Amino acid sequence: MTYSSLLFIYLFFPAALGIYMISPKKIKDIVLYAESLIFCGFMGVKMTLFILLFSIVNYTAGKFIYSVKPRLKSIPLAIGILFDIIMLLSFRADYFAYLHGFMRLPEGAYPLGISLFTLSTVGYLADIYKGNIRADKNFIRFSLFVMMFPRLIMGTVISYDTYLTTMKNRRFNIGELGEGIIGFVKGLAKKVIVADQLYMLYSAVDGMPLSKLSAASAWLGIIAYILCLYFTLSGLSDMSCGLCRCFGIRMPNSFNYPMFSGRIRVFLSKWHIQVIQWFRKYITTPVSSMINNAYIGKFVFVIVWTVTGMWYSFSTGGALWGMLMGLAVVIENKFTKFRRIRTNGVIFTMFAITLISVFLAAESISGGLRYIGVMFGGNGNLADSLSVYLLKYYIVILLVAVYGSTDLFKNTLARVKDSKFGWIISVFTPVTVFALLLASTALMAYSGQSDSMIIML
Amino acid sequence: MKRAVKITAGAVMIFISAVMGMILFGGGFVQDITTIGKTELINGGIDDKLAGSVAENLPFRDYMRSLGAEAGAKIGEPVVNDVYISDERLLDVSASELSSAENYALEVNSFAESYSGTVYFAAVPTSKGIYGDDLPSYIFDITEKKLIEYLYDELAVNIRKIDAYTILKMLSDNYIYCRSDTKWTSYGAYCLYRTVIQKLGFIPISYDKYAIRHVTDDYRGNLYDRTGYMECKADLLDIYEYSDGTEITECTGYDRDGVEHQLSLYDTKAVESDNPYNLYLGEPMDFIRIKTTVNNEKAILVIGDETADCFIPFLTKHYSEIAFISADSYKEAIEKYVDTKHYEQALFLVGLDCIKNY
Repeated sequence: MTYSSLLFIYLFFPAALGIYMISPKKIKDIVLYAESLIFCGFMGVKMTLFILLFSIVNYTAGKFIYSVKPRLKSIPLAIGILFDIIMLLSFRADYFAYLHGFMRLPEGAYPLGISLFTLSTVGYLADIYKGNIRADKNFIRFSLFVMMFPRLIMGTVISYDTYLTTMKNRRFNIGELGEGIIGFVKGLAKKVIVADQLYMLYSAVDGMPLSKLSAASAWLGIIAYILCLYFTLSGLSDMSCGLCRCFGIRMPNSFNYPMFSGRIRVFLSKWHIQVIQWFRKYITTPVSSMINNAYIGKFVFVIVWTVTGMWYSFSTGGALWGMLMGLAVVIENKFTKFRRIRTNGVIFTMFAITLISVFLAAESISGGLRYIGVMFGGNGNLADSLSVYLLKYYIVILLVAVYGSTDLFKNTLARVKDSKFGWIISVFTPVTVFALLLASTALMAYSGQSDSMIIML
Repeated sequence: MKRAVKITAGAVMIFISAVMGMILFGGGFVQDITTIGKTELINGGIDDKLAGSVAENLPFRDYMRSLGAEAGAKIGEPVVNDVYISDERLLDVSASELSSAENYALEVNSFAESYSGTVYFAAVPTSKGIYGDDLPSYIFDITEKKLIEYLYDELAVNIRKIDAYTILKMLSDNYIYCRSDTKWTSYGAYCLYRTVIQKLGFIPISYDKYAIRHVTDDYRGNLYDRTGYMECKADLLDIYEYSDGTEITECTGYDRDGVEHQLSLYDTKAVESDNPYNLYLGEPMDFIRIKTTVNNEKAILVIGDETADCFIPFLTKHYSEIAFISADSYKEAIEKYVDTKHYEQALFLVGLDCIKNY
């Protein structure tokens, strides 16, 4: 089940929240766990057992790492991490697809969010190994770390100690519920209203043979891809954070308006914040600490970015995307002394990111290169009737997406809130939330859900 | 601000709870839960099924769908659930594959081989085939014209092919296709009838001899069902009546379970039902036998889908017996109900919708 589903919004969520609210504090975790099992149950018993097995293996590995002698700690750590990576690859990589069959999971079954909760569990095992945390004795609490339903579908990646603190400090009141609902509806609107439309635009371009594509259509397609990726990931993240908050659990946001940043480095520091931080914390920093040579350090940085790219898309294109992102940051840092005025910086950054992202969208490196060629008029066709048609119909949503991906609206709201017209916000907020919920419901009224995904994480 | 947040929480939760109650107490959703099978429970798919059920049982469903279609068309491309919304009409834009045509041709060839009479074949395009020229190039993948040509090439040489596409395309300025459905109108069926009946050896009845009765001017077809787009003008369902003294003496249908039903050429009560297109020949049947007072001992076997429903009445003025077999299950129906030797002519009158899904 996805969050952007009428079944979730109008049945599961209110029922789960209601039961959670009235249950005594002592058993709230058990209730949340039972609800999470039911949530997974909608994906089928096999998938529920898979996620449960995932929790059990990591819980057990964590206990072993914590309890065995120091010289043996690396064995359960390696087994645990290997298990996590193999499970992840069995869903993400074609090379390991046979494992999918081996688990007898139905064709097409995919535990949405597996890439994120795998990072969480690997981080958990590594933290125990490094002695930063103790292995949790409470299985339900640990299992909630993996499969808590408000966080399961592409929720925030957090370390286990942050998770414990967050769970300990949870507080439920109408204000938190309101903030949670606002966050959830904001994410829902991002996914259903904006991302789904951009996905259609991208699909329209992607469905055309490359040899028939004009430069304008190619640019429209890749811009739609990047914006769709942002609105899908940040929408799901907002929904997850909003849901957690409805249950009194405060999770940090994963995106901080990265689009139209003045530098590539700034863009990456605001994009999927916890994921990028995870790679830095668990791979870049430990490896770099062993290296004194600055050039090798930069090489490691690029390699880790290559791995990050493969995390997004387990393909040569994904790896190249990551590598180019890493290289772009290294090159940009090299030339920091040349100060650019902000507008130039934004244009340069978006131009570079757009070009690099072609490889994330493309099926292969050669396909990506050909696509870039088309973007610069390689087909000898700068614009055609398709590009005019697409621009005519998608210009509004593209402009909305561009505006919505910046912090301009947020800043305007903040200014109005602090002014004498602050009362407008009191009227504007519930009306807008209500209108967005209605519009999203209407857009899902035929199939009952919005399940188109530009990327499966 | 805090007050606004609290108001939002209260209002949204009241709204969600109210919708929840209406879905649960509407009955349909609870009934759908009971249909969940063991396989779905184990392998998954419950979420998709129940999400669809919630959508079906959503309060103000039609209004919400219409709102969704309008909003979708306003903020982006006018394509909703694979239906293109143009100023004039709705058009199905789901993909077609040549392999389906090939499979269908094999079936027809195999029938023709074992059949002693003459086989006629008319593939009737959908509204997309006739009005799809204006669709953007990326949507217009395999044209129905190409699909029909491919199908006809694959058909055996002894099968007489009727070029319904060209006939209908030439008349596309007329009201020959529903605006909210993939199917043709009675007038579209009449236009093809004029050619088909000549090929079958009769003189067509001229248009001015018919008295045309508009049974409803509020028909919203399968494309409307997929979009809920109210802005598209509703369609007419017409009956073509010609009083030449010919009468229907028998119209018997057999459903999937073999149960016999007494039918009529036009079931006007169907106009008030969920599928008003059942006006023509009533509920879908596996086999329908129609006998008339035409005294020429001519009998025809018609194999068709629902496209043929509004075409059959035109044949009743020329044949003493018409055996109409559903294209979905024609092999079983022939075995069960028909002695093919009794029919000198067999006409396949199949819509592209049926061929595409074959």
